[in-house]
Amino acid sequence: MLETVAQAVINGLLIGGIYALVSIGVTLIFGVVKIVNFAQGEFVMIGMYLSFYLATQFGIDPIVSLVVTMPVLFVVGVLVQHFLIRRVLGPNDMPQIFLTFALSLLLLNLALMLFSANYRTVHTSYSDEAFHLGGLYIPVAKLIAFVVAMILSGALWVFLHTTDLGKAMRAASQNRDVATLMGINPNRVFCVALGIALALAGAAGSLLMPFYSAYPFVGQVFVLMAFVAVVLGTLGNVIGALIASLMMGIAESLGIQYVGADSGLIVVFGMLLLTLAFKPNGLGGGRVR
Amino acid sequence: MKKDRQPSVLSGENAAAKILSKPQSRRKFLLKTGGAVAAGAFGAVPLRGWAADPVNIGALYPTTGSMAQIGVGCVAAAKLAVDMVNEAGGIKSLGGAKLNLIVSDVQSDTTVTRTETDRLITGNKLSAIHGCFASALTLIASQVAERAKVPLITGSSSDQLNKNLSYTFTPFARASQFAQAQLQMAKLVGDKPKVAVIFENTAFGTSTSNGLKEQAPGEGVEIVMFEPYSAGFTDASPLINKVKASGANALFSVSYLNDLILIVRTVKQVGLDIAINGGSGGFVIPDFYKNVGKLAEGLQGVAHWNHDMDDNAQKVNVEYKKRTGDFLFEYAGGLVAQTFMLADALERAASPDPVKVREALSTLDVSSGYAAMAPGGKVKFGPDGKNVYGRPIGVQWQNGDLASIFPKEFARAPMIKS
Repeated sequence: MLETVAQAVINGLLIGGIYALVSIGVTLIFGVVKIVNFAQGEFVMIGMYLSFYLATQFGIDPIVSLVVTMPVLFVVGVLVQHFLIRRVLGPNDMPQIFLTFALSLLLLNLALMLFSANYRTVHTSYSDEAFHLGGLYIPVAKLIAFVVAMILSGALWVFLHTTDLGKAMRAASQNRDVATLMGINPNRVFCVALGIALALAGAAGSLLMPFYSAYPFVGQVFVLMAFVAVVLGTLGNVIGALIASLMMGIAESLGIQYVGADSGLIVVFGMLLLTLAFKPNGLGGGRVR
Repeated sequence: MKKDRQPSVLSGENAAAKILSKPQSRRKFLLKTGGAVAAGAFGAVPLRGWAADPVNIGALYPTTGSMAQIGVGCVAAAKLAVDMVNEAGGIKSLGGAKLNLIVSDVQSDTTVTRTETDRLITGNKLSAIHGCFASALTLIASQVAERAKVPLITGSSSDQLNKNLSYTFTPFARASQFAQAQLQMAKLVGDKPKVAVIFENTAFGTSTSNGLKEQAPGEGVEIVMFEPYSAGFTDASPLINKVKASGANALFSVSYLNDLILIVRTVKQVGLDIAINGGSGGFVIPDFYKNVGKLAEGLQGVAHWNHDMDDNAQKVNVEYKKRTGDFLFEYAGGLVAQTFMLADALERAASPDPVKVREALSTLDVSSGYAAMAPGGKVKFGPDGKNVYGRPIGVQWQNGDLASIFPKEFARAPMIKS
């Protein structure tokens, strides 16, 4: 009994790490640029396909391919901000929503055209291995993904709190106008924010590849969880999104164990509903960190 | 008032025509004479061989969308089958008429299936249709075909296809028979099978798993876990954790490809010693092995067709492999047999008229040749359009290939215990 619960918590925590990488990207973009990026899941998908082709064409391990997917998606993020999002930033929210939504649809259908609807997997030596501790098991691929996700999140936190550029990003997220008055170049800050967010999505893609299949719709699976995590953890709050993602992973896993395998998400959405009712600003308490 | 105005407009046009009449007259002349020559040329065709008009066969398959993998393979098999019939001389009673395949993409979508079936039937003079792989799509196409009075032959397994439809023919095993075969196979693995049934919460998952649940007591199989899950999950671990806690020694998974891949991998990671039966559909296609690799070895499933069944099936398999690089999988292989059943019916009907083709199909009775390429080797349709000899075949992944292992009389390889 206790073993089953412990295993459920471990499973939830591990997948929560992946949710965190996606949701931190969404919340960072929202916090700094003040737009909702509906296409975040599609960038995870692009990261997965990049890793897949690097693995099958050049024999590069998906985890190692992080060093390629992250910089590539960082550049993509900068370009998206500079050439697309910059043009729609203004008092009206509608064009921004339509822009990222259209981007999502475009990337999805482009992927269908280029890669077809087939599922693609990479089989690594550790894909099916697990550490066994007593009656518990920890899959190696997911453990690696979780550890790397936590390291990246930690690195982002350090970046936001210790570097000038990081501080500028936090300043821009707290009050864009004052930040501009203080001599911060908003477009530069926004470009970096988009770059980091997409690099995290790319990292999520690479980390997923050893144990999950790549297919054009794969981003949709993760982006839904990411949006819930972002709201739960207070919009724009990086640490909040991280904690909320881990909580959701555990809630989903326990829900599957004790409510039903088709209703694991009920627990997650129940959590969201209660949070919205009693703490409308999210578990972060409304403070943007 | 309108009447007054119309002539004036027309006369205006006539006036324009008069002005332009000179430069156009030569062109008009050429057009007219050309048309006459062309008409003569076309008229000459029926004189030489009116019966050689090709016979149109509609093929409805999802070649885009979530089911595209299987749909594309089906189209390749359908083309192969038509080539085989045509190379053997076409339909002799129709003067050697060739079969002409008209493929339509139903995009893995029920709404599109309805409009595409309609469009295919109204836009072409069809003698028959085959399709659509997924039962949910075939159910809709069969309704449209019924109304249009065009026979539809399908490998889809839903038992619902045999209810109140007189234009639908199902030459292969039904879903209820699949369930029975799966339960019997569980007894091959151990004397006292304790089965965990996990299924995706869709029409396909629920109907198949309910069939298993209903027939389990009759087959003496105990079901210790019966659990729906939401299709397209991110992580199979919680579900497998639950299977482990149930103490089952056999696992039936009613899933599409991606979920099944995760389930099989997770079972390995957990180190759970359990016999997995992956059913049919996404489990019995080459892509499953490509994605899962060695982990697939020893896994069992059920199919309505397998490429090692008989000599004819093996012959077709070799040809298909030459064209596509993969072995001929269940649905596509059955489709080749279906095309030959249609050819047999057309031969006897001696007419491309769909109503007459339906008549001929209903009296089909074959036990040799490519048309009889079905488990048991015999095809004869009952009044409900069901092959009275239809039986499923139990298969197992062995060395990257699917081997027939159940029942004993169909077995082409011994079962390996994993």
